[in-house]
Amino acid sequence: MEYMPDFKLHRPDNIEDAVKLRAEEPDALFVAGGTDMIVNVRRGIEQPKHLIDITAIEELKSILRDGDGLHIGAGVSLKELQSNADVLRDYPAVGEAARAVAGPTHQEYGTVGGNLCLDTRCLFYNQSEWWRQSNDYCLKERGDTCHVAPGGKRCFAAFSGDMAPSMLVYGAEIDVAGPNGRRRMPLTDLYRNDGMAHLTLEAGDMLTAVHLPKALAGSPSRYEKARVRGSIDFPLAGAAVRLEMDGKTVKDFVVALTAVNPYPQIAKGTDAYVGRELTDEALDEIRELVRKQAKPMRTTTVAPWYRRRVVGALARRRTEEFAG
Amino acid sequence: MSDDAKQSAVRCTLNGRPRRDFVPDNMLLVDFLRETVGLTGTKIGCDGGECGCCTVLIDGEPRHACLTLAAVCDGAEIETIESLDTGGRLAAIQRGFNEKLGAQCGFCTPGMVMAAEGLLRENPNPTDDDIRAGLAANICRCTGYVKILEAVHFAADELAGRDKEAAA
Amino acid sequence: MNEIKKDVKPAKVIGVPRPLIDGPEKVSGKALYTADFIPYDHMVGRIFRSPVAHANIIEVDTSKAEALEGVLGVVTGDDCDEGFGVLPIARYEYPMARERVRYRGEPVAAVAAVDVETAQKALDLIEFKYEELPAYFTSEEAMAPDAVSLHEHREGNIERDVDYDLGDVDGGFADADLVLEREYNCAEICQVQSEPHAAIAEYDAERDYMTVRASTQVPFYVHLMLAKTLKMDQSRIRMIKPHIGGGFGCRTECLNVELICALLARKAKGTVRLVVNREETFITHRGRPETDVKLKVGMKKDGTITAVDCQAIQRGGAYGGYGIVTILYAGSLINGIYQLDAVRYNGLRVLTNTPPPGAMRGHGTVDVRYGFEAILDELSVELGLDPIEVRRRNLLKEPYETLNEMFINSYGLPEALDIVEKESGWKDKRGKPGKDGDGKYRGLGVGCAHYPCGASKPVNWTGEPHATVHLKLDWDASITVLTGAPEIGQGSSTMVAQCAAEVLGLDMTRFQVHSGDSKLVPKDNGAYSSRITYMVGNASIEAAQNLKTILVEAAAKKLDARPEDIECLGEVYRAASQDEGLTFEEVVMAALEGTGTITVKGNFDTLPESHGTKKFRGGAIGGSMAYAYAAEVVQVAVDPDTAEVEVEQVWVAQDVGRALNPLSVEGQIQGSVWMGMGQAFCEGTRFHNGLPITGNMLDYRVPSIVESPPIDTHIVESVDPNGPYGAKEAGETSLAAFIPAYTNAIADALGVRPIDLPVTPDRLMELIEARETEERVAAARDSSVAAE
Repeated sequence: MEYMPDFKLHRPDNIEDAVKLRAEEPDALFVAGGTDMIVNVRRGIEQPKHLIDITAIEELKSILRDGDGLHIGAGVSLKELQSNADVLRDYPAVGEAARAVAGPTHQEYGTVGGNLCLDTRCLFYNQSEWWRQSNDYCLKERGDTCHVAPGGKRCFAAFSGDMAPSMLVYGAEIDVAGPNGRRRMPLTDLYRNDGMAHLTLEAGDMLTAVHLPKALAGSPSRYEKARVRGSIDFPLAGAAVRLEMDGKTVKDFVVALTAVNPYPQIAKGTDAYVGRELTDEALDEIRELVRKQAKPMRTTTVAPWYRRRVVGALARRRTEEFAG
Repeated sequence: MSDDAKQSAVRCTLNGRPRRDFVPDNMLLVDFLRETVGLTGTKIGCDGGECGCCTVLIDGEPRHACLTLAAVCDGAEIETIESLDTGGRLAAIQRGFNEKLGAQCGFCTPGMVMAAEGLLRENPNPTDDDIRAGLAANICRCTGYVKILEAVHFAADELAGRDKEAAA
Repeated sequence: MNEIKKDVKPAKVIGVPRPLIDGPEKVSGKALYTADFIPYDHMVGRIFRSPVAHANIIEVDTSKAEALEGVLGVVTGDDCDEGFGVLPIARYEYPMARERVRYRGEPVAAVAAVDVETAQKALDLIEFKYEELPAYFTSEEAMAPDAVSLHEHREGNIERDVDYDLGDVDGGFADADLVLEREYNCAEICQVQSEPHAAIAEYDAERDYMTVRASTQVPFYVHLMLAKTLKMDQSRIRMIKPHIGGGFGCRTECLNVELICALLARKAKGTVRLVVNREETFITHRGRPETDVKLKVGMKKDGTITAVDCQAIQRGGAYGGYGIVTILYAGSLINGIYQLDAVRYNGLRVLTNTPPPGAMRGHGTVDVRYGFEAILDELSVELGLDPIEVRRRNLLKEPYETLNEMFINSYGLPEALDIVEKESGWKDKRGKPGKDGDGKYRGLGVGCAHYPCGASKPVNWTGEPHATVHLKLDWDASITVLTGAPEIGQGSSTMVAQCAAEVLGLDMTRFQVHSGDSKLVPKDNGAYSSRITYMVGNASIEAAQNLKTILVEAAAKKLDARPEDIECLGEVYRAASQDEGLTFEEVVMAALEGTGTITVKGNFDTLPESHGTKKFRGGAIGGSMAYAYAAEVVQVAVDPDTAEVEVEQVWVAQDVGRALNPLSVEGQIQGSVWMGMGQAFCEGTRFHNGLPITGNMLDYRVPSIVESPPIDTHIVESVDPNGPYGAKEAGETSLAAFIPAYTNAIADALGVRPIDLPVTPDRLMELIEARETEERVAAARDSSVAAE
């Protein structure tokens, strides 16, 4: 029998009840697929008194298409997302990112919302209770030292979700349900550059849906991640590129990055290439532009400088494909 | 053991048989299968989602029993390695793993076979690349996967052959 | 009465591909592994592990844990003062630490409780007081002059210093046209067998009798160590080996898990189930040690190797384990693959505050073989020679005696090289620098390796035969093979039955194999060193021959003929002159009449000359009756922008003497090649102040099916004069050859030569960038020269 912390499981069948439960119980957490959350619970990283399973909420499981674009429920599985014809046709990087998450079994029940709200990761954090206790815990959890940058007061744990960059390049918006009702906000506002608290959600908030705008449907995009193995691994670095050309010159160009900072981000400075040709020189500049914005720290076994280099290489490679 | 308030009623179909259980909320499906029910075919090879040894089918789709709470399986149809044979004879996918030596030590095999079974139900005629993509969450330490690819092809061929016979 | 067919022939069993005898159980989930025994009344065992790397123990206070309701037994280092270990000269490890802890995660105490929650609570109540000591996580730190000794009897933290100088090494270097010197750092790696360690111990207090099931490759060593640590008479212990989920050497010695489980069961007076998790399995370790290999090799212009000087330093962890053997093997196995006339070796096994390594697949040879085959490639390229031709130039001629008294009687390496050269298209594809159409650089590399077929002298030998097999023939006319050879997934049970079946001309369906109960099967040294096929296979043949003699005599008596006139056709025995004969059942009835059930025995012993002499220290280690050989070619495609390397294809040819079961042999070779791939590109442990960062299967990366290449597998049959039907080992040789073939292929593709293992993308990127910088500097220099 595996050791599991004690908690009460709730299975609400609608968003309102789920949010209400969460508001009532300060020591409660939402869980959907559980591919990451249950691992963290097993390791004692999360010790909730209540676990609110949201997989019985039908509203979270649909993909709808209308005049505004595509609306993806947070509870949609990564498997369903990558099999959806609208996604594949109109927002290809999104399908590609879903196929790149962990392994196929994880994709069967891991969800869009779960991947967007994925906890940040670090070698000193994603370890067993015995391990973390023996290491005096860390800044992110119960401790007061960052083992990545001792002396510092910032947490550098890396955001390691694959879905976020693929959606950020489309200017995705999200729906959040909270104690004070529902609201819509840009996906980019979900995140902040802080490994300890990278999500801007308030206590009791639940991400319920992602919206991909109609205006950008069909805009060409790719997502690629660097990892050591061809499967299972979290990204060491990941880049999504959306690029529309007008003949030989750039019409619209967005790059978003993951796994190289505590939050996923849209790379700044790509709009400077609008109207320009993507010469080898320009492509090299783009590579450097991306690298400069990646500030990975020693949170994985692979060296941070490699992650910085490779994220630039991925962005350049994917950009060049469209430019060609 | 959890107190009563932290238990849930679970009605599920396990290997074709309906069940009603009252399970602790914090019990993992893999422990429910192995220790409560006694189906030890499903294995534990890692500390959560990293090896695939515990792969079972839930509503026909591969899933890690080590990251699934038993309590959320209310209403689910669960299939484990013990359900595949028919009339005491190995299923095609099991025969493939046996005949082609897709199993050496056999410990990853139940999970690997269930993942492959899930794959074949979705794609009865997979290419090498399809098999690689479909079994990419399952780690085998013995075979180097070469004979696992052959095992899945063997099963696909056997199933296709049977289909042809049935059509004729 | 069965009708006798006229055209009956003895069944052909050897050389025929066949599924494993226990395959159906494995594919149907029916095979029971240790953790699958879950008796209702069992107690849950859990281990309290040291949070610190090196400390004097002041106190382990378990009183609060013992007082907790539901806790039925607590044990600490005080409960066992008997050391354990595989080598009689290095038994200074205890099931739970006494006086000192020496690595993070070392067991300090253990509890048995009614359920896992209670067991965990009890662990949390144990108070561990200690006084920290300086801790050393690298060989270098541990060998520093002022370092505290981990063990009082191992001064300077040197577990073993091996030194020998054979032939004229200095003269050899003087004769060479090119001498290269290189240092290779090879990371520590782990077996990561699928099944985490588990034990279940049932103590019968009424009889003072202990029954233990454990995931082990060496049930009889465990049996011995259980008796020693429990201070129980061996006769009161029954050791059962259930199905085993792989080993690859991490269970080649008794582990603390099974000893702690038994100590707990006796203390709690009942059945304790101790199933450790993956992290604890990593901490229990016994993988391949981190090794620094320093090699100097001299070569003549024609490719002849003139001299070898090798130093190996192994980070040996906190306890001896197999360490002394590993450091001796690392030197011994420089020899025996090529004609070498001058070899110097210095090996240092160092004690450090990390988990103890062990005897991982390819024990001892892999890291040194990697360095050797890599430096051979570099020498070849620098001398403008074809690396395969260079290997051909240095082939030995069997029968051959190496400098260190190893005897080579069969040698299929020449044929193996021919095969991989031809099949890979070596001559056309290799040595083509530059980028392909897809932006990738492609290259081919070659590597060779060898491995013994069991040590001629077992590490813990008391004079008994190397292998014993019993065959039990009963009234049902089926034959039960009783062997202590542990089936761990390598197919040994199938092999043992095959050997017997071939002798008797019977189909395998007449056989069943029992391999796992110390009270039923004859003692066996276990599954390690690739000894089983060679030794137990031979014992099985002898047992079957003995049984056949009895059957033939019974048939002769029944048919009123002379035994020498009896023709054994497997299912039929007949006198040469007669048309009619007896069915196998009739012969069995005749043989059992009067005597009852028959059990016959077959033994195997190694030849005394294969034991080596003691002319120099370490000379007898590595000696074997035979050696298997492999040649491999690897094709890689490298993306220089991301330093991603794809292994596109492997060609391997291994000399296995004779393939008893070609299906199983292929599986062994492929698994071995692939495990070499893991070591080459992604596997390696990391520690943070002695805490295992890679104690999980995300950070310790075992290759997935996605990046695992097709392996074109060829079997070479040199037919060893002493092997069972000529067979040699199949499961270890090909591992070591992959690694240099891989790095040599990268060198062929990029002109950049990886040195340290594993060749992770960051390491390769560093090399690529260093070369780019070099080229830029050179270009700048050239242009400035041109400008002048």
